[in-house]
Amino acid sequence: MKHTIYLDLNRCTGCYACVVACMDQNDLQAGQGQPLWRQIFIVEDGTFPDVKVTFVSMACMHCQEAPCLRTCPAGAIKKEAGVILVNQDLCIGCYSCSMACPFGVPRFGQDGKMQKCNLCIARVEAGLEPACTRICPTGALKFGEINEMMMQAETNTIKRLVNSRVTSITRG
Amino acid sequence: MRDNNLLRGKIPCADTGIEIKKSICTICDPQSQCGVDVYVKDGFIIKVEGTKENPHNRGTLCAKGSAIRQYIYHKERIKTPLKRIGSRGAGEFEAISWDEALNTIATTLTHIKEKFGPEAVVFYAGYAKWERPFLHRLAHAFGSPNYCSESSTCAQAVNMAWKLLFGAPARPDIKNARCLLVWSCNPFYSNTSLAHSIIDARERGLKIIVVDPRYTPMVAWSDIHLQLKPGTDGALALAMANVIITEELYDRDFIHNYTYGFEEYREYVKEFTPERAELITGIPADNIRMAARLYATLKPAAFMTGQASVVHHTNGVNNYRAALALIALTGNYDVFGGNLVMPTSYLYIPAGFMTREHEYYQVKPWEEMPPRIGQDKFPVWCELVDEGQSMHLPFQIELGKPYPLKAMLAFGLNYRMWPDPDFFLKNLQKLDFIVDVDLFLTDSAKYADIVLPACSSLERSELRCYIENFVIYTQPAIAPLYESRPDVDIIFDLAKRLELDDPLLAAGYEASLDWILAPSGIKLEELKKHPAGMPVPEPLKIYEKKYIHKGFPTPSGKVEFKSLLLEKYNSFFRYDVLPIYRPPKYSPEATPELAKNYPFILNTGSRLPMFIHSRTFRLSWTRNLRPEPAADINPGDARRLGITQGDIIRLATPKGAITVKANITKIVQPGVIHMYHAYPEADVNTLLEADYLDPVSGYPGYKAILCNIEKV
Repeated sequence: MKHTIYLDLNRCTGCYACVVACMDQNDLQAGQGQPLWRQIFIVEDGTFPDVKVTFVSMACMHCQEAPCLRTCPAGAIKKEAGVILVNQDLCIGCYSCSMACPFGVPRFGQDGKMQKCNLCIARVEAGLEPACTRICPTGALKFGEINEMMMQAETNTIKRLVNSRVTSITRG
Repeated sequence: MRDNNLLRGKIPCADTGIEIKKSICTICDPQSQCGVDVYVKDGFIIKVEGTKENPHNRGTLCAKGSAIRQYIYHKERIKTPLKRIGSRGAGEFEAISWDEALNTIATTLTHIKEKFGPEAVVFYAGYAKWERPFLHRLAHAFGSPNYCSESSTCAQAVNMAWKLLFGAPARPDIKNARCLLVWSCNPFYSNTSLAHSIIDARERGLKIIVVDPRYTPMVAWSDIHLQLKPGTDGALALAMANVIITEELYDRDFIHNYTYGFEEYREYVKEFTPERAELITGIPADNIRMAARLYATLKPAAFMTGQASVVHHTNGVNNYRAALALIALTGNYDVFGGNLVMPTSYLYIPAGFMTREHEYYQVKPWEEMPPRIGQDKFPVWCELVDEGQSMHLPFQIELGKPYPLKAMLAFGLNYRMWPDPDFFLKNLQKLDFIVDVDLFLTDSAKYADIVLPACSSLERSELRCYIENFVIYTQPAIAPLYESRPDVDIIFDLAKRLELDDPLLAAGYEASLDWILAPSGIKLEELKKHPAGMPVPEPLKIYEKKYIHKGFPTPSGKVEFKSLLLEKYNSFFRYDVLPIYRPPKYSPEATPELAKNYPFILNTGSRLPMFIHSRTFRLSWTRNLRPEPAADINPGDARRLGITQGDIIRLATPKGAITVKANITKIVQPGVIHMYHAYPEADVNTLLEADYLDPVSGYPGYKAILCNIEKV
């Protein structure tokens, strides 16, 4: 059973609520060499008048076979209850993890050590959900057991498919 | 180790001593007021999140609300009352006591009243909005008609358009709608508590048409995007009406039984074929037809307005009348799933109960007071809105007519709200006495003689209600920081020191609220037992088509395609009685010569998700997401002008120029520049003339002027 954060790309509007909630939860001091643990990427496609903009809220994916963990020469990265965590006391700031990470997630603070999303593990252990999913206004970010969330996503897709067929009849 | 983890994770429990207090965020106001769970340890706020029990935000918050901790603990908060010792604007102040500050204010205002009359004192409400009924009453109890607010550029012109046409505004009933026409509104950034319900409805099969010059997240959820050129809303609306009338898709019964002036309107609408509208708006004629058919045939259809986007034009009210006329044409007014008339409960929000808010603030009828600011210039505003028109304020100070203004008691004044802010500032300084109440020593507060420190919503008690028939009376999550006080405490204290003969102002805030709430049967005593808020007991049932029995509160008693109120003033003011389309005063259509040198349309004042006006500018969490003033430019335009991302560009109008960074983005259409407002270092409002106003509402034409850009 893997609990994780899932992003419904259709629902993300790039409102930054998750980004700020993460800073508030983790006391990140933005603007003082402090990297963000969660970020918004805006992908623009097409040309006027046929434009599509996609927003992506990104943080650590907490991979099951985490390349960062396998690469870290200092043993600073570990997996605990499915969550990839960094022990900053052990981190030597060698950037191996950043080279290994397929998502470009690792960031380094002014102390040169790696930091990233810890899935709000203390909150999760206390039965709460991560700050970012808790705040999300559109329900784009979700926290839960992966297969359950995929089931929900599938159901939503089916709903949309059915609705669009009904609609085309109405439009007829 | 375990406790350490709990503390680091800010887990509320006995071990950590972290408690959750219930409050609300009022950083944006007044449609949201999201419930906030405030994590407090040893009297300090360490984290916030949305309140799950609050049916409006359902546990969510936006980027601004999530940053409220930085707002509250910001090092620039004013700690004590201040008295100016340097020149106006220099920012040199000395700390004084509350007693000295309030006594000075009371004495000076009383003196001005005796010498020049009470009307010489302006009572002004910027942000926040919670203190408004009390400040409004204070103004009238003092004898001044001049209660003014930032509503002079916000949502009141939209209400004017509603009232001119229907007599009363009506809200979109999205839950029951099959089609939603969104006319320039992006709640995903401006009112995120609405986001969930729109997406849920969309996934349920709601059809969405969005009118917007930009590609916004709202557009991403639309079936049809009508991407018009800024300022051409009226032409688009009239062309949609043309299609609906020509193809006989309109509601004949509704038109026949409940409307006035349809024949003249129909004649006028004939001029606006979709092909002609395509030339004006840039939207393909077939898309206009498709949208008109969809809105007219997929019933019920709701219409969602923005607060200010369409009315920030020199023809704003008439453009919006043209758009709202589509609701009349299709009979979607006051029906479930269309737009429903819901009586306002308190502070602009309908919440299923009646109050005496209006009776509370309007202690004196307008006729018994001297004319309001702007009354001779914007008479229709004064007929429809219970305040002065603040856009005229600098002009009245300058002219001294019909009477001189001498003092201002302001809450949250921001002079950058006015077009040509320097003109406003020049005249503001002619006042003998200025008081400003704020959390921060803003650039506007620096011009005040006395500055008073207010506190945030998390440090006070206030009454708010929600459209979901929910009501809350908050308790402070923490005590007011430093010597700051809630705005209303200042108002009620001043009322005493001014020795006004007003029993409710003498009785205080809570007694006033109980008086206001009396018709609802809701008492503060009961509300205090529910710190996270409570459902309104036995909420009023909303019925549709109330007009069948009650008619419409317009001069004719009908829906007015032809406004009798505008006709009343049109001999002198030359108002258009029909919703006539006129291009923006400065536009390629109206001023082609000017457009040769200023070939771009400049649209200002849109929302970025992390800012509402300048309110979260100083917070590093939000500011660092978009640190510098930047104008949005279409990639094609940028390429043509040799501008690349992040280049410094000069943005110029005939009035002036500012220097900003270029942000190249496809959300903007070619030929249009979007610049965000309120930056001290690049104030886009300085590019407008002070009288670039809609003659009906007095609203500034922020959303369409001509400009040029060049790489510096």
